Amino acid sequence: MQKTPVVSVSGLHKTYGRKNEQQYEALKGINFTIDEGEFVGIMGASGSGKTTLLNLLSTLDTPTSGSVEVNGQDITGFKGKALSDFRSEEIGFIFQDFNLLESLTAKENIALPLSLQGVKKVEISKAVKEVATTLSIENLLSKYPTELSGGQKQRVAAARAIVHRPAIIMGDEPTGALDSKSARDLLDLMTDINKNQHVSVLLVTHDPFSASFCDRILFIQDGQIGQELKKADNNRQTFYQEILNQLGTFEQ
Amino acid sequence: MLTKLSLAGIKNRFKDYLVLLTGLIISAAVFYMFANLATNREFVKSNTQISMASQVFIFGMILLILITIVYIAYANSFLLSMRQHDYGLFMMLGAKKNRIGELVFIETLLIGVISTIVGIVLGIGMSMGLSQILFNQLGLTVHHFNALYWPAIVTTICLYVGLFLVSGLFNLAKLVRTPVLKLLHIDDEVSLPKRRPLVQLTEIVAGLLLLAIGYIAMAKIMTLQLLAVPLALVTITLGSYLLFSAVIVGAVELLKQTNFANKKLHNFTLAQIMFRVRSYTRILTIVSLLFALALGAISVGAGFQRQAPQMARSTSAYTMAINDMDKKERNLVTQLNDTHTLTYSQKIVGNTVYYNEQEFIDHPLPMLKSRQALNNGSLKTLSIAQFKKVALDDMDFTGLVPKIGQQKSEFATQRDFANLNTATTHTVTIIRLNNVLAQRKILDRLEKMQQQRFPAPAMATVGGFQTYKMFNALFSGLQFMGFFLGFAFLAMLASCLMFKILSGANKDVVRYNMLNRIGTRRALMKQAVRGEILTLFALPGVLGIVDVLFGLQMFKPLMYHPYEMTGWSILIFCILYGVYYGITTLIYERLVIPKEQMNG
Ligand SMILES: Nc1ncnc2c1ncn2[C@@H]1O[C@H](COP(=O)(O)OP(=O)(O)OP(=O)(O)O)[C@@H](O)[C@H]1O
Ligand SMILES: [Mg+2]
Repeated sequence: MQKTPVVSVSGLHKTYGRKNEQQYEALKGINFTIDEGEFVGIMGASGSGKTTLLNLLSTLDTPTSGSVEVNGQDITGFKGKALSDFRSEEIGFIFQDFNLLESLTAKENIALPLSLQGVKKVEISKAVKEVATTLSIENLLSKYPTELSGGQKQRVAAARAIVHRPAIIMGDEPTGALDSKSARDLLDLMTDINKNQHVSVLLVTHDPFSASFCDRILFIQDGQIGQELKKADNNRQTFYQEILNQLGTFEQ
Repeated sequence: MLTKLSLAGIKNRFKDYLVLLTGLIISAAVFYMFANLATNREFVKSNTQISMASQVFIFGMILLILITIVYIAYANSFLLSMRQHDYGLFMMLGAKKNRIGELVFIETLLIGVISTIVGIVLGIGMSMGLSQILFNQLGLTVHHFNALYWPAIVTTICLYVGLFLVSGLFNLAKLVRTPVLKLLHIDDEVSLPKRRPLVQLTEIVAGLLLLAIGYIAMAKIMTLQLLAVPLALVTITLGSYLLFSAVIVGAVELLKQTNFANKKLHNFTLAQIMFRVRSYTRILTIVSLLFALALGAISVGAGFQRQAPQMARSTSAYTMAINDMDKKERNLVTQLNDTHTLTYSQKIVGNTVYYNEQEFIDHPLPMLKSRQALNNGSLKTLSIAQFKKVALDDMDFTGLVPKIGQQKSEFATQRDFANLNTATTHTVTIIRLNNVLAQRKILDRLEKMQQQRFPAPAMATVGGFQTYKMFNALFSGLQFMGFFLGFAFLAMLASCLMFKILSGANKDVVRYNMLNRIGTRRALMKQAVRGEILTLFALPGVLGIVDVLFGLQMFKPLMYHPYEMTGWSILIFCILYGVYYGITTLIYERLVIPKEQMNG
């Protein structure tokens, strides 16, 4: 069955630094697509360009050349309102850190994307309750972020990322600040969202364990996609081993 | 090594230090300006006719000291919050606590000393500039005022350096006592006000009650005498604090229940306010007091400024009488705007001055409708018969004689007047003009010329201008104090608000950055910034105006119409305040709202 791509990237270049300053080419022509409902991982050594790529995909930064299409529209030319609206409607973010506004309760944090879209109060309440039940955080809703553990915070962040049913969830090392148990819970959760709600996920990580939850992994090396691994019918353990092997070949 | 690291930390946060230093410098400058008046006993004595004046200044000083203490405590907590993470890190890396404590102490004291010295220099400069402007623009004559006044310098240094010594010791103790881990995560800590409706209700009632006591105390200044001032200060300060604390929490809680909260970024703005409510309450109280003091002082200054020309109008039907106007004088008179002039002939026979009755029939000399103290200066014209009856007893008429000794005045018919055999015919020209204040320089010159040509005892010169000069001299000191302190308090108010607002920017940068990432439109973020800052501006502004409206009651015993200029000063003040609000939000928006894209 041919699926329509949610994200399609072609010829993506990114050069940092102004014309007459020292320049650094962080991305040197990247091409790939993400299908609807796919769980894709991006791995690579530190400094290989993972965050740069994610920033371009999420419109936080603009590419030097190349195109990024999300749901069929080229997003690289977006400006002003169109830009903000694209972010708030099509993308759900989970960052490594600074995910929540510490002045708002968990519930208010989760509701934020819906408030931005002008959804009615009743509907907001309903939607928040629904995600909270899915992620089993109903009893945390009235707490402030400082009253939550790291893992709980990331779950709230995940709830905020999916509450408005975005086309794709992006995470830049969302498990980076978590202990292994909480990291595993969050990854299970993302898999669950991905499988049951059919939301595509793009996960940037350099942790092989996190990566083993993906359907497909793109290895990025010196600003280019070097390798691609597919889970196919392997179970997670075998896939994990495969990833480790792959990483081993890089180190040699 | 540690010193170097610590200096590097300062360099990294240069902008924040600049905010901190500017705030402290302005505070020191304002304190110096106030101390300059308050500690100068001779100035206070020679420039006010009010016996209580110097005590009032002492209370003012106490109030300003309290404001300064809160301000410095505030600045210090800002400083500490900037530094504790750094110092926590140094400690974790193995720096000795005592060494760190030493560094913190020195840093605090150094900042204090620098801002005090620069502040005093700025204060001297501002005193000089402001007093020059006031002397020139308002025609004030003030004695014993020096922009550079040593006792004020000493007072300012003692207070500021003393306070910074205390702050330094406080910081030292705090850093040495707090566990390292806590220092590292101190930014994450929050304190949310608990919702306790009963407490809030009590706060509102108590706040209103205290404010009422303060307002009544000010109105009853004649009975309470000096006691009114400290009573009002204490009750109004406490009342404002309680009221702000209850009203903000209550209003935010109420708004959160409504649909309003779920729209746009409203919930975020409300949360911002709620989160900062403690520090907001303190700063709002101070700002409302400063607002009231500044507006009140300027209103009083303007009131006294109006008083002298008003008295001038109500004491005489004309501004000035000029005898035997010569060419030079005529030239000057033509330079005056908006004038009415009348000229009458005079002949002197022996001891008597004769006037031509016909001239008074053709051009009657107007007289004051009333000679009572509080008349509004309106005039009436009389028939010649009536005029002749009252004129000979009226100062405005008897004062018209050429100033050559004592004379009687009499009227003659046109024929009799023509037949009077005298060598010369004198004239007297009466000028009446509306805006004495604006044209006082020309009037001054005219008067000097007259006095040279007709050397007479000073009191013999007649007309409203004389009265104006007399009362202006009397009120100059009060006007000067009003305007001078008004502008000083205004500067302090501006610096307080700016400081409070900018000191929150660091945390807000992170928050707005996050909002931008999840796709918040810039317009919405701007709205949020404006909304939050508006609360900071509007609430104390409203209370400040109410304070002034009641506070002017205190001046009823001193002034004809204490409220006459209030409308104008409020309007002008609000415009200034509005402009300042605009500038502040613009600066803040630029500071905290990120670009949509990194290189965009
Ligand atoms: N704003 C910038 N200006 C200049 N160079 C940059 C900028 N941001 C990143 N770089 C450079 O681009 C390269 C890729 O950076 P990027 O942050 O994408 O790496 P990464 O793969 O996310 O690394 P990590 O795993 O450490 O997070 C690095 O060499 C970095 O030095
Ligand atoms: Mg990265």
